[in-house]
Amino acid sequence: MNDSASTHAPAISARALSKHYGRVLAVDGLDLEIPSGQFFGLLGPNGSGKTTTIHMLSTLLRPTAGEATVAGHDTRRMPVAVRGVIGVVFQDSALDRTLSVAENLRFCGLLYGLERRTIEERSGELLDLFGLAEMRKRPVGSLSGGQRRALDIVRGVMHRPRILFLDEPTTGLDLPNRRRIWRFIERLRAQTGMTVLLTTHYLEEADGCDQVAFIHAGRIVERGAPGELVARLGRHVIEIEGARLDDVIALLEPRLGPALREGDVAMFRYPDEDVSALARLQADARGAISALRWRRPNLNDVFLWVNAAQPAQGAADAREPPRPTSLAS
Amino acid sequence: MILKPLYAVMERELLRTLRQRSRLLAALVRPLIWLFIIGAGFGAAFDSDELHYQSYLVPGVVGMTLLFGAMLAALSLVHDKESGVMRMLVIAPFAHHWIVLAKMLSAALAALLQALLLLVLLALLGLLDARTDWALLALALVVCALTCSGIGVLTAAFSKTLENFASVMNFIIFPVFFLSGALYAVGHLPLALRIAARINPFTHGVDLLKHAMLVPLGAPAAAEFSVATDLLYTLGFTLFALAAASWRFSQESRYEPLIYALAGRR
Repeated sequence: MNDSASTHAPAISARALSKHYGRVLAVDGLDLEIPSGQFFGLLGPNGSGKTTTIHMLSTLLRPTAGEATVAGHDTRRMPVAVRGVIGVVFQDSALDRTLSVAENLRFCGLLYGLERRTIEERSGELLDLFGLAEMRKRPVGSLSGGQRRALDIVRGVMHRPRILFLDEPTTGLDLPNRRRIWRFIERLRAQTGMTVLLTTHYLEEADGCDQVAFIHAGRIVERGAPGELVARLGRHVIEIEGARLDDVIALLEPRLGPALREGDVAMFRYPDEDVSALARLQADARGAISALRWRRPNLNDVFLWVNAAQPAQGAADAREPPRPTSLAS
Repeated sequence: MILKPLYAVMERELLRTLRQRSRLLAALVRPLIWLFIIGAGFGAAFDSDELHYQSYLVPGVVGMTLLFGAMLAALSLVHDKESGVMRMLVIAPFAHHWIVLAKMLSAALAALLQALLLLVLLALLGLLDARTDWALLALALVVCALTCSGIGVLTAAFSKTLENFASVMNFIIFPVFFLSGALYAVGHLPLALRIAARINPFTHGVDLLKHAMLVPLGAPAAAEFSVATDLLYTLGFTLFALAAASWRFSQESRYEPLIYALAGRR
């Protein structure tokens, strides 16, 4: 399956990829180019089109317009070839709860045409790596949420895919389990050099990505290396609290640039390393500021500012495809 | 290449069938209830010297086990969507229409397993006659099981209200069963019902079972069609069901709702 035609091609490439549901645009002219071996994060709020994009790239959805190639194979014309070189970890578990851990992996391995012995060997290795070796005989329904997620990833990489799609792999997990999942993925990447396309809304998890793209209402609105994007925001983010926050914002915006309001906190970007000038702000505001802090910006700030620059969230929600009622329960 | 995935789906279906003890028990007890209660009730009215009604009913209840077993297994396509197993299937590297064939074969296999267990039980109860044409019975079981799972996957592929199992039961399984000759000869039915029964592929599956189990007994009015007609009809329907369900399943309109489910918006 690893034909020579695909060795120099980018792992994933999409041009003007679009998906309409009736008149609703879920993904709107998306361009992507992900080199082989890269760890790429597709970030955005719920309903922004991340999952629809993953489903188009993994051949489960047919694009309305545009095209995409995965490992050099056109997703529309060669879906089976694409599915042969990718692994997908879905948002929801793709396991049979009535079968045991080993039976699930055997089922999955056979679906990929793997030999019995290969399935035994690989599931042994991977279950070891993910700390699930003791669970082989247990029914999947009896595993904890974190263990099930880990097993879902084992399932997704059993056939050694060259490209792995992780759709919100840590949603709903507690912090220790999220960290554990990330350690596994790190080790997997180190061992196999696979290309990983991640979607998440835990932005600190995307810090380790080589490149990230922010998607909003089906369009990519910002992209770059996490470090660069953060640096572009400024040297500091200033957070201000106060009783009459609107007045404080009106007073400070001419001096600090546009504010971003998050609940009871107003945030400003600050380009300078030297923050000594900030002391004067508090004096000028004559007690209207109850707290003033500054800190280094992070990817969360990039996310907030990128989204603030977009049309209201309501518009993005409206783009979420309607769920058919028959599947609602 | 496709053999391993087909095998995987069938192996899973067998594991599930054997593990769901209560379903398996129901599959064995249900036909016995019909055999002993309905059989006794109608037998009192219709028994003649040539044939006891209870004996007449034996191929019918074997067919019933195949019908219920295959339908339940085929309709688990819906359950698979909810449980996530469908995600493993749709992301695997083979064309999606193979999923329908895999499901059809595995549903037939699950039904066959149940029918074989029932046959053992019937033999122990002394309800299997030694004169049975065993080779024809084997063929009839396989063909009837495939026909039943064909009805199942067709229902699963075309029905939009699959969660509503009661309606499938009332509007598909029961009519198919009652209009099949499993309980009475269809030749005596009023014209409209007789036509419906002749169109019903399950009628011909049951008729094959009668050929194997009743004709060797010299039972009058046992089988109503020729073996060739039955085979042509059942196998023709099975191929049609496979083609129609595969076509329907690989259609985007049918397929996209599944993607919404995959997107995990609950």
